[in-house]
Amino acid sequence: MKFEFEVRERRRTGFSLEVRESIEADSVGLVGPSGSGKSTLLDSVAGVESGARVILGGVDCSRVPLEKREVGYVTQDALLFPHLSVRENLLYSPRAKDLGDVPQALGVGHLLERMPRNLSGGERRRVALGRAILSRPRVLLLDEPFGGLDETRRREAMSLLDQVRRTYRLPMILVSHLADEVIGLTDWAIRLEEGRVVARGPSVTVLRASETQIDNYVTGTVVGPGRVRVGSTELSVILPDAATGSVRLACYAHDILLATREPEQISARNVLRTRVSSIEGSGAAALVELEEPHLRALLTLRAIESLALKPGAEVFAILKATSIAYLGRP
Amino acid sequence: MNSVTLSLGVGLAATLISFPFALATAWFLERTQARGRGIVQTLVMLPLVLPPVVLGYLLLKLFSPRGILGEALAVLGIPVAFHFLGAVVAAAVVGFPLFVMSISLAMKGVDVRLERVSRSLGRSRWETLWRVTLPLSWPGILAGAAVSFARGLGEFGATIILAGRIPGETETIPLAIYAELDSPGGEGRIAGLIGTSLLVCLASVVVARALDRWYARRLEIDR
Repeated sequence: MKFEFEVRERRRTGFSLEVRESIEADSVGLVGPSGSGKSTLLDSVAGVESGARVILGGVDCSRVPLEKREVGYVTQDALLFPHLSVRENLLYSPRAKDLGDVPQALGVGHLLERMPRNLSGGERRRVALGRAILSRPRVLLLDEPFGGLDETRRREAMSLLDQVRRTYRLPMILVSHLADEVIGLTDWAIRLEEGRVVARGPSVTVLRASETQIDNYVTGTVVGPGRVRVGSTELSVILPDAATGSVRLACYAHDILLATREPEQISARNVLRTRVSSIEGSGAAALVELEEPHLRALLTLRAIESLALKPGAEVFAILKATSIAYLGRP
Repeated sequence: MNSVTLSLGVGLAATLISFPFALATAWFLERTQARGRGIVQTLVMLPLVLPPVVLGYLLLKLFSPRGILGEALAVLGIPVAFHFLGAVVAAAVVGFPLFVMSISLAMKGVDVRLERVSRSLGRSRWETLWRVTLPLSWPGILAGAAVSFARGLGEFGATIILAGRIPGETETIPLAIYAELDSPGGEGRIAGLIGTSLLVCLASVVVARALDRWYARRLEIDR
């Protein structure tokens, strides 16, 4: 999808926002510290703020009011309608004809008759996401969807969003003050500071030295105690006793080691023979994408050079069982 | 009709008639950026501070058969001045500021982001008002209805000027009390009327509060 927007905002407080971008991507990340203008930019795209030039997928919606813009707008606070049940919330949009498989996909199928007050924070966010998806948006706009979550819940929420992105193939714009959250889930990113774009490019290129928490999410099947089959490979994982059937796993990109020769006598439980499919990065670090299983490893440029890694090269990916997190059922 | 049932009828009719106007005014004040909101706000508050007699006089000018509105309504066969409707109009006008204030306050309490979400999901402003803003404002609307009802019930100055004191037609409780002041042996009847108005006003406030609390519990909004 092609995202084009031009926003010029001047506030009495002295804050000004000037952004003009034309991006061809499935998903776009907006990062920057609070007060950098990313939420204002998202509001402009959504139509909450008027006056911006916004073209989404070739359709000029600069003058289209919020209710006709067909954007799924999800904020950090779930903002469920407190007087409506989960089912009524999900079906609130006139474009939502029936629930389909959305409640199941988001794990809220058993909550349909509940009122929002009886939901946990995580459940509320899921319902809010489902409500946005069911409104058949042309694009999902997510403002700090992982804000205020601890690490485990954040990984759960991110893996869910990753799943949504793959299942429903919805273009999206994801806003976060943490680059890590954005980069794992988007293919293009913009970094904003004080209302100006300071970096743009394939997501990993806007990374900075301290930003390394890029996550990998995979779905697999439990085949034995502590064993999970993912595609054609099998992983050693620390699983809760009750885990059976399909499971979701996560592994940070910086926890994956690469070697060009098969290591021996190593404590890591997973040594996987695979190939490099692409390398993307700039500055000090790069993301090395692997073929099977589909994982991304974060390496320094120096490491990549010394191993002479390039697309197609055979490598051994090394994953400690303890760095693979179990996120529950898909 | 005795003055008690008449008063109840006047108060109820006044509340029902002013509801759509109070709602529209509150929405205009709280949810639009239109110009002239300040002027409207001032005008709405005017009946609260104007001497009721002055208000009654102005209403009489407006609604007398030779007044602008009165003439038009007379053509339609709807007399206002010195009729039941006159008492209703007087009660509605004095209760109006309280009604608007109460609904405004309730609308202020509704998170505008919920309305924004509603619109982003494809509901127009109008649908959003009906589906989100109003359902979440009910407690305030009911409270407003209760106070404006109670306020209208007690109106004296504007009523006596616009509607006169016609027993069974415009003689509401306060007017009846006034009449009884001069009549021999009125003491007992006055006590009864005062007791009744106390009771009715108390009941309306209690009912409004109970509804408010019940609704808050349903939504689990802390109050």
